[in-house]
Amino acid sequence: MSITLTVNGIEHSLDVDERMPLLWALRDVLGFTGTKFGCGIARCGACTVHVDGVARRSCTIRIGRVRGKSVTTIEGLSDTGQHPLQKAWLDHNVPQCGYCQAGQIMSAAALLANNTNPSDADIDSTLRDCICRCGTYRRIRAAIKSAANEMRTER
Amino acid sequence: MSQTTRNTSPTIHKITRRRFLQAAVGAGAASLVLGFRPELIGAFSTDDEPNHVFYPSVYIEIPETGNIRLIAHRQEMGQGIRTALPMLLAEELEVRLEDVEIVQAVGDPRYGNQTTDGSASVRLNWDNLRKAGAAAREMLVRAAAQRWGVEESSLRVEAGVVHDTGSNRRASYGELASDAAKLDVPREPKLKPPSEWTILGKDRKLVDAPDIVTGQATYGADIEMPGLLIASLERPPTVGGKLVSFDASRAKEVPGVRHVFAIDPQPTAMRTFGGVAVVADNTWAAMEGRAQLEIEWDRGSASEDSDATREALQKLVDGSGRAIRSEGDFVAAKASAAKVHEAHFHGPYLVHAPMEPPVATVLVKDGNAEVWAPTQDPQTARFLVARALGMKFDDVTVNVTLLGGAFGRKAKPDFILEAAKIAQKLEGTPVKLQWTREDEVRYGYYRAQYCQKVEACLDETGKLTGWRHHTAFPTITSTFTPGAVAQAPFELGQGFTNMPYRIPNVALEASGFASDLRIGWLRSVCNTFHAHAVNCAINELAELAGRDPVAYRLELLGEPRTVEFSERDRPYGLDTGRLTRVIEAAAELSGWGKKLPNGAGHGFASHFSFLTYVAMAVQASVDNGKVKVHQVDCALDCGAIVNPDTVRAQIEGAVVFGLSFALYGEVTVKDGVVRQGNFDDYPVLQIEEMPEVRVELIHSNLPPSGVGEPGVPPVAPALTAALNRVTGKRYRDLPLAKQVG
Repeated sequence: MSITLTVNGIEHSLDVDERMPLLWALRDVLGFTGTKFGCGIARCGACTVHVDGVARRSCTIRIGRVRGKSVTTIEGLSDTGQHPLQKAWLDHNVPQCGYCQAGQIMSAAALLANNTNPSDADIDSTLRDCICRCGTYRRIRAAIKSAANEMRTER
Repeated sequence: MSQTTRNTSPTIHKITRRRFLQAAVGAGAASLVLGFRPELIGAFSTDDEPNHVFYPSVYIEIPETGNIRLIAHRQEMGQGIRTALPMLLAEELEVRLEDVEIVQAVGDPRYGNQTTDGSASVRLNWDNLRKAGAAAREMLVRAAAQRWGVEESSLRVEAGVVHDTGSNRRASYGELASDAAKLDVPREPKLKPPSEWTILGKDRKLVDAPDIVTGQATYGADIEMPGLLIASLERPPTVGGKLVSFDASRAKEVPGVRHVFAIDPQPTAMRTFGGVAVVADNTWAAMEGRAQLEIEWDRGSASEDSDATREALQKLVDGSGRAIRSEGDFVAAKASAAKVHEAHFHGPYLVHAPMEPPVATVLVKDGNAEVWAPTQDPQTARFLVARALGMKFDDVTVNVTLLGGAFGRKAKPDFILEAAKIAQKLEGTPVKLQWTREDEVRYGYYRAQYCQKVEACLDETGKLTGWRHHTAFPTITSTFTPGAVAQAPFELGQGFTNMPYRIPNVALEASGFASDLRIGWLRSVCNTFHAHAVNCAINELAELAGRDPVAYRLELLGEPRTVEFSERDRPYGLDTGRLTRVIEAAAELSGWGKKLPNGAGHGFASHFSFLTYVAMAVQASVDNGKVKVHQVDCALDCGAIVNPDTVRAQIEGAVVFGLSFALYGEVTVKDGVVRQGNFDDYPVLQIEEMPEVRVELIHSNLPPSGVGEPGVPPVAPALTAALNRVTGKRYRDLPLAKQVG
């Protein structure tokens, strides 16, 4: 039986086992490889996507649980790649290897959607278990604040 | 309207998706190829180019129409090398980085050394690539001068265009390419003086960053092609373990599982595991099928236990070891000492835990093999894949993706060799072997567990008269030569043999230990434990002498001198004057000696590694049993700097890497089996634990040295010293968090 969901604004029907984690449906079946596999136990954040606007770890959500829901991946965060976070990430030259960055950006985007003036504590609690082994944490914090500032100014 | 999308072609180099590439294809017949490296100088034609291309070296391609291509022949794993190497070429070629296409090289000896480790990419290519760029520029300028009948000195080059200052004539490099290709390659092209640099030494954002932040960058796991199957491999629990039997019936019931079969281990190829492979339509089915396997293993002889290893290593350093360096008479110094200070320093096995677990895609077809992998070492991978599959070197192609972190793990091609063996059984079908995080943690090439013993002799005035340091750890060479026990010079040369302090009586000894694990290099390698012991001992000795640890270091270093132990050190011997300078700079940057607020302590460490000088001050406190690191101040002298922002980023990264293992990093073994498996039991630093990091770069025009690794070794001993100040306790073991909590 096929499972229908919306990914980045486009409806897709998948004929897959409903136990398959959303992560692998996105990557292997739909070809959205921007979302990464890091741990498989929701402890590293590399697979973070939005499900109906909420940041979720796609490695532990079964595809059967997102039937009919709307999923946003890094590829769909912005049509132009110009989301304030994406611009700020470039301004601060955040990435090193870059593998975790889609998850970091998606986690931060969910935060800024509700809070355009986050404190360090807000950022830290949102990005807990969003692991970056290269050590870009300082720049992530700075970039989130820059993006938040831009979003406040635009309002 | 419903739509299902699936990528249909492999996107190996992200560059292939770039808009500007679309203009790069034209029509043509012959093109000229020149090599710049001495063994490649000379011209030859090829007929298979769709566009005339001028190859002034193997690193530069200038087509008549379309974008200039610069070849990045070493691997990007976050250290910024796909930006730095093209900067070297572009500076002398006189092109703008934003105007060129950067192409990742396949594994091929024609590019020279591609083994991306040892923080050596810039150092090894500093002259080579600048000369390649300069030679090409000289040929293009000469071609323009001949075409226009003017002196070369009347021509000016800017952004890939040659201008005649005496007229309005101008020609792009592409327009000059066919004429330039007929000229001799200059053997000694003239390099720009640093004062004329417009690219080198300036902050440059990573060329891959735009693709990274939009999810378009291609890592190892992102390879996609028609008919691709995904594999997951169940390996024996121990190194040397063997498959006895397996039952695949339940695995085959998982929807999407296509094949289940065993592959043999490859013990002489870096002790690569064999096991039972489950091959499926998608990753989930492969992993799920694997979980359903029923397997009987012969565990072999592996029986290591971490606690027993600790005792064995300590017993080794309490005895006598192989003499590595001896000056004066330590035994006599000890006999006549007023006081002998003795300390043992222990640290556990560590695993790399890059965010991207190992992954490789292999297609075996028509007697050839093609590999797509995040490898640090594509030439070795190519050689070993050829050997594993019974092919010739020329029958194997190794394409390199971006590496989602590596830290030394992806220098070992075991995951590629496993994938090759699986793909060989499914000839004609591309197979991607995806490791889990648990695979990565349990089947690593571990940073060695160690014990270091330092004995220091003090006279009545507290002066240091003797230094004995005994290092014991399993050698990395056991991975290449099973059974090897004695450490190699390259391991001992990392912060042990080259101990820089001026002490009259020195005895350095080493003892090997046979581990049941595969031992490998992890960021900074043996420097991590040698810097731990030497810095902690120096800090303890300063405390005993009632001296400031910074002043104590400077006094022990004394007048500037060069410490060299072999010809290989030249021209990069340890210059104690440069070490002194970074110690002074870090002390000043950190406000060393001032009282810190909130009960924080200040700790100091310094280290020379990968030919770079680093000193670091760490501010930390303890709150409710939890360590809080407030600030890290670091001074670094790495000679000439290509991209300062990358250097700062690498120090920020080194601090995170160093703090992760200083506080938490610990792989333990029981009955020869690694007990950790994921980030829940192998914790690493989180964003809330990130301190402020300030970096002072010493600018010079000396030859460039390492950047990616040298920041790591001082972190743990500087933190140790800070915590010692806070709690009054001496810490000699890593990791620290559980001792403080």
